[in-house]
Amino acid sequence: MSMNVQPDREFIQAMKEAGGDTLKQCYQCATCSVACPLSTDGSPFPRREMIYAQWGLKEKLVNDPNVFLCHHCGDCTVMCPRGARPGDVLGAIRAHVYTSLGWPQSLARMCTSIKNLPTLVGIPALVVFFMWIISGGMRIPAGEHFAKVGYQQFFGHWDFHLLSKNVLFIDIIMLTAVGIAVYSLYKGVSVMWRGMSASLNQGEVGYRPGIVQFVKEFLWPSLVEIVQHKRFEECGENNSRVRGHKPLMLAFIALFFVTIYSMVKNDVFGIFFPSLHGPISLWNPVKWLANVAAVAMIFGIVVLWKNRKKMEAEGKAKNTFYDWFYIWIIAAVGVTGLAAELLRVVSLPSLGYIIYYLHLVSVVMLFLYLPYSKFAHIVYRTTAYAFERYRQSAYVKNPLND
Amino acid sequence: MSDTAGNGAVLVVGGGISGLTAALEAAEVGSDVFLVEQNAYLGGRVAQLNQYFPKLCPPTCGLEINFKRIKDNRRIRTYTLTKVTSVSGGPGNYEVTLETAPRYINANCTACGDCAVVCTDEVDNPFNFGMSKIKAVNLPHEMAFPRRFILNKEACSSATLEAIKSACKYDAVELDMQPKSFTLQVSSIIWSTGWNPYDADKITQLNFNSSPAIITNMMMERLAAENGPTQGKILRPGDNKEPESFAFVQCAGSRDENHLEHCSYICCMATFKQISYIRAQYPEAKIYVFYIDLRTPGKYEHFRAKFMDDANTTFIKGKVADIVADRDGGVTVMAENALTANKVSQKVDLCILATGMQPALGEAGKTFGLTIDGNGFVVSEPEKGMIAAGCAKSAVDVYTSGQSSTAAALKAIQIGR
Repeated sequence: MSMNVQPDREFIQAMKEAGGDTLKQCYQCATCSVACPLSTDGSPFPRREMIYAQWGLKEKLVNDPNVFLCHHCGDCTVMCPRGARPGDVLGAIRAHVYTSLGWPQSLARMCTSIKNLPTLVGIPALVVFFMWIISGGMRIPAGEHFAKVGYQQFFGHWDFHLLSKNVLFIDIIMLTAVGIAVYSLYKGVSVMWRGMSASLNQGEVGYRPGIVQFVKEFLWPSLVEIVQHKRFEECGENNSRVRGHKPLMLAFIALFFVTIYSMVKNDVFGIFFPSLHGPISLWNPVKWLANVAAVAMIFGIVVLWKNRKKMEAEGKAKNTFYDWFYIWIIAAVGVTGLAAELLRVVSLPSLGYIIYYLHLVSVVMLFLYLPYSKFAHIVYRTTAYAFERYRQSAYVKNPLND
Repeated sequence: MSDTAGNGAVLVVGGGISGLTAALEAAEVGSDVFLVEQNAYLGGRVAQLNQYFPKLCPPTCGLEINFKRIKDNRRIRTYTLTKVTSVSGGPGNYEVTLETAPRYINANCTACGDCAVVCTDEVDNPFNFGMSKIKAVNLPHEMAFPRRFILNKEACSSATLEAIKSACKYDAVELDMQPKSFTLQVSSIIWSTGWNPYDADKITQLNFNSSPAIITNMMMERLAAENGPTQGKILRPGDNKEPESFAFVQCAGSRDENHLEHCSYICCMATFKQISYIRAQYPEAKIYVFYIDLRTPGKYEHFRAKFMDDANTTFIKGKVADIVADRDGGVTVMAENALTANKVSQKVDLCILATGMQPALGEAGKTFGLTIDGNGFVVSEPEKGMIAAGCAKSAVDVYTSGQSSTAAALKAIQIGR
């Protein structure tokens, strides 16, 4: 079998920059594929991904679900006889794939380097500040009033048609950021799924799953597996990460529901019952959930932060912007969110407003950069899980399809 | 023979095939040579082999002629059970302190064996890597030279010691023998300190101690050797089963920065050689060779080609990274076949780890003023009169050891003339 290899030198360079500079050490002994607790018999990794990366075969990697099925335990890196650090290389490949699937490309590229950090913080900081100025809110309430309305009048308080002005401004900012992220992820997942399907070399497929079947058979079981952290638990070297990742993930799920609840309360029912506007009562179970989740989130990110530091100190992981950008954003969201709430309770409006402003900035960053940062794994890794189930299902294995 | 300084005398440290060659080459052109060996016998690792390259001779073939040359040469003085303890001075004028461990058997010994008959205490036989027992007073192996017994005093009860002493007709047993320290004046030193098989226990993922069905390539040599624990029949240690399938695990500890960073050079050829042992006894046995690259330089290519064609021998490109002991006494080895991109779990009756060469001297060499490279090999410095030979210098086969030892002798005899 001969193969015409056209190496993509830019890709190899990008690998090196994203922490995969040990890539060229690999001599294909395949120890890693056996060391990996997640690699399957029929489609082992990361040995094959290492040589694809060495040869700069970007197309192969972008369409390879194994790249996303890797959870970066580092078991392979510890056993590697050449110090090629396959775990780090696969992390670098993922970073690169997120960037290349990102839309708009200019924003995606910006998220790859610490040099752009001032801009990455500056854009949402300026947008939120600008909105604050044009909203006419621009004033910090007195103590008693603050205690009653909290941050709900950050962007002013008069009603704008059916929405309260504050809700309108929050929606403009957040829905824009979420909209860009969702569109980018939609595009990315489509490209990824098509590429992965094409790599199966099936030709014309006679029978495809419908949406309901897809969700039932592939997506839902994947989500259950992810929430249960089944694969994470199999990691040998870096098992302690689960203690941070699990509370963090559950916190995000809980806060997602809290946000939906708050949105429905303020933006939907609030239109008809203006009295519903205002912070959720401290006696409301939803608020309890929110507070527990906020604490879990901070606990989780502290564990992951320390774990990362420890791994770097022990030489088990590299210090990359890709990993830290994501940790910083989550830490910022958690800390500013909880601090803003506490400052409201103790009635310190000036400081509270500053922290709340920072909270808005970090939440915008979380949404806006989701598709291009490590955070993208929640979508792309889930897609790969679902694809793996699809690949092993009768839709692909069934000889009737051939 | 003189032992005064500046006389051009050569000290050869290590009496394996390299040390024997270097000592003989130097002595036969007229230099005085001291040959020291830490074991009780000369011949080193080659003595433990079943057959060796290039001609697949038994070790008697090459060693006996060298022993005869040593016996006939009055310029060589040999010291067994002896180690170098310190080196001082400079090129042309080295003073070396050595220490000889007590053998408890003196030169009166005729190797008649009467003492072993009465000895009831046994120890693991290190010559067979513990795969058999040997009497506590013994001739280390049939071909041992000097042909003299050695007593492991610590392993014997006082009653046994008395019995041994009274059994000897020649008054050769000296139970109060003490370690003996002495110094030598020499012009140059040849370091032919050789190698040890890398400790397979350290390669944790290969679970060496989990099953007697996992052996090293050096143990395989002993199993195949007629003077070995099974009289040359390749049987599985533990239950003496005739194996129907074999797995060779190449690069076990070599080319691995967690173990030996260097390629040990001989293990690929050793595996092909051991396939020839298996084929001679079990023509139908299944053999699986797990490798990263098969390195068979030069004329060895032909030897390799012969076994690559064997229908019952499968070569799998992928390093074994896990071995699991099975209940039936066999083991399952695991690797990824890089050519098919599938994981392989191969069950076999006997698994042979192709462990590599660890330089025997290593870091300790620095205390003698030697330069040691990052892998533990001695860097040859002829201008200092410190010359490395054979596997002390780099991981090589017997043939290349012979060449490097002759070269070392030529460098050594030029110092202090």
